[in-house]
Amino acid sequence: MSGIGAALLNSLDIGLLLFIIAVGLNIVFGVLNIINFAHGALYMLGAYLAFTLINLVGMPFWAALLLAPIGVAILAVIIDRVLLKFIYSRDVADSLLLTFAILLIINESVRVIWGSGIQVVQPPQLLSGSVELLGSSVSTYSLFVIVVGLLLLAGLWYLFNRTRVGRIMRAAALDRDMAEALCINTRMVVTGVFAFGAWLAAVGGVVAAPMRALDPGMGDKIIIESFIVVVIGGLGSFPGALLGAIILGLIHGFGGRYLPEVNLLLPFLGMALVLLFKPNGIMGKGATA
Amino acid sequence: MKTTSMKKLLVAMTAAATLGTAGTSYAEDPIRIGGIYILSGSASTYGEFAQKGIDLAVSEINASGGILGRQVEMIYEDSQGKASVAIQAARKLVYSENADALVGLDSSGVAQGMVPTMPELQKPLIITHAATPDVTGKLCNPFTYRISVNVAQNMKAAALVAAETDATNWTTIGPDYAFGHQSWEFFGNYLKEIKPDVNLMSETNFPRFGAEDFTPFIDRVMNSDAEGVLISVWGGDLVNFIRQANTRGFFDKDMEVMFTVGAATEVLSALGEEMPEGVHLSTRYWYDAYDNEVNDRFVKAYVDAYGTAPSYNAEGAYAAIYAYKQAMEAAGTTEGSAVAAALSGMSMDAPNGKVTFRAGDHQAMVSPNWGVSGPMDSELGIRSLTNLQIFDGEKVARTIEETGCKL
Repeated sequence: MSGIGAALLNSLDIGLLLFIIAVGLNIVFGVLNIINFAHGALYMLGAYLAFTLINLVGMPFWAALLLAPIGVAILAVIIDRVLLKFIYSRDVADSLLLTFAILLIINESVRVIWGSGIQVVQPPQLLSGSVELLGSSVSTYSLFVIVVGLLLLAGLWYLFNRTRVGRIMRAAALDRDMAEALCINTRMVVTGVFAFGAWLAAVGGVVAAPMRALDPGMGDKIIIESFIVVVIGGLGSFPGALLGAIILGLIHGFGGRYLPEVNLLLPFLGMALVLLFKPNGIMGKGATA
Repeated sequence: MKTTSMKKLLVAMTAAATLGTAGTSYAEDPIRIGGIYILSGSASTYGEFAQKGIDLAVSEINASGGILGRQVEMIYEDSQGKASVAIQAARKLVYSENADALVGLDSSGVAQGMVPTMPELQKPLIITHAATPDVTGKLCNPFTYRISVNVAQNMKAAALVAAETDATNWTTIGPDYAFGHQSWEFFGNYLKEIKPDVNLMSETNFPRFGAEDFTPFIDRVMNSDAEGVLISVWGGDLVNFIRQANTRGFFDKDMEVMFTVGAATEVLSALGEEMPEGVHLSTRYWYDAYDNEVNDRFVKAYVDAYGTAPSYNAEGAYAAIYAYKQAMEAAGTTEGSAVAAALSGMSMDAPNGKVTFRAGDHQAMVSPNWGVSGPMDSELGIRSLTNLQIFDGEKVARTIEETGCKL
């Protein structure tokens, strides 16, 4: 029984971290019709900026959690204004190519700036211990990740359903020309949404930094996982990102403990099953997505 | 429309033609050695260590007159950790960059894929890191050598260490590819031979390479009746593993824990005090383990140049360049098959002592190092190794028959 509690909490902390990252990917796709290959690289930048602020500048973790994502969002604004603006009217495949190029540039820049070595960020004092919960010892930090994930979930739901900004974003996603006709500055919406997606990726990166070692390949690892989440949950869908992330979290958390022989296969099996029965993902919308 | 594509075609053909003319070489040209390592992504730190070791050797050799009176020039290619990319890189290095010899390979999977193409290229390859026994075993060929410790040698040593402990029930946690599986297979076979009453548990754990979250497997081992666990997780994965294991209280359990690549300096310096005391750690070369002139010079030059203690991967790569120097001078030429032949059975003084490339399988008889993690070394900020054991390279090696290599 104790094993199940540990597996469940572990699944949640893996799943909610993935949610933070995948939801940004989905928002960007939903509104901008761009599959952002560089999303994982932005996550990595968040982690490395946090590493710089905490280990090199000496700031507390909380300051890094606030500042690093803002830094990445500013960079995203620049990327949007300098590069992405040329491809919004083009086919999705073009965005894939361009963002893949951005990913390569960011990956190499990280390697040049921070080196290829393995870096470690310590969790804040407050969260460095572990507690007894559901019959097993759980690190306080992984509980913190779960809390951050849930807070972001609630915040995003509120944003999309209860605020004007959220409604504008949804309007722009639905029909950009009509939104423009209604005097919405879609140019600003586009840049804002891309920066917001990057901000979410970077929050994920800062939150991940104290529990996952930093190296220049960390972005590639997370983007593959995020794509699995998106395929399972549905591209462009907000609840889909949550569902996909939780399913993948459960696959990792329980699969590793109870079906270790096939742990490598399970995520892809899940993905194949979904594609077979719901080609647009569990929450995906029709064929137009 | 048509004319522009014709123009493009012509430009491409001209470009292709100039590539071809680069094919002539002159005696005064530098000797060119191609290096194929992981130079991007997660494990690129290993490629960089190799580069550091090689660059040190090359600058030393060039400063003292080069090889056969010619300067040495390195050309690097990124394997990206993929066999197909490495094969392409090898062809490019040999056919269009005119490399006289190759060094490299960080991953067992890459080595298994690339080694069979060496006879086609007719150039010698010295592997400096990848550890799968196959490339100096059933996949061996006249052009492929390895200067670093292989899995079979290191697991023989590991079994000798494990046999000394009280643990009977053994399991493993290793990456789910050749390296993790072969480590467990060789360890199990050797341990069973030395101590027949051990129990090799059927519950084994092979998380994905790059899994990031290892807690499911950590919990699984903690909830089993394992008394000893062989862990072949390495690099950034190992850093994640140990930090997560710490929060679960994994090291508080009464269990023998053996890390097969745990004393890698890059892992130790990332972890600092988070590396627990009292666990068995191995490395293919521990900078402090060898008291000889070559090692003293190498460690000093390395620390002077880069400010850190040399990693095992830097040592292997450094020694490989000196191996080529000796072999090319013995052969009196840089011609591929002559140099390859000269390497066979050759002995040299490397930082890790006298190294001999065994003629039967081309594996260097080098010594795995095992120790137990001890107090912090305050100067380098890493755990020290206590009870350090340097195993005799000859004694931990398989016999030629066992390797399955026929040369």
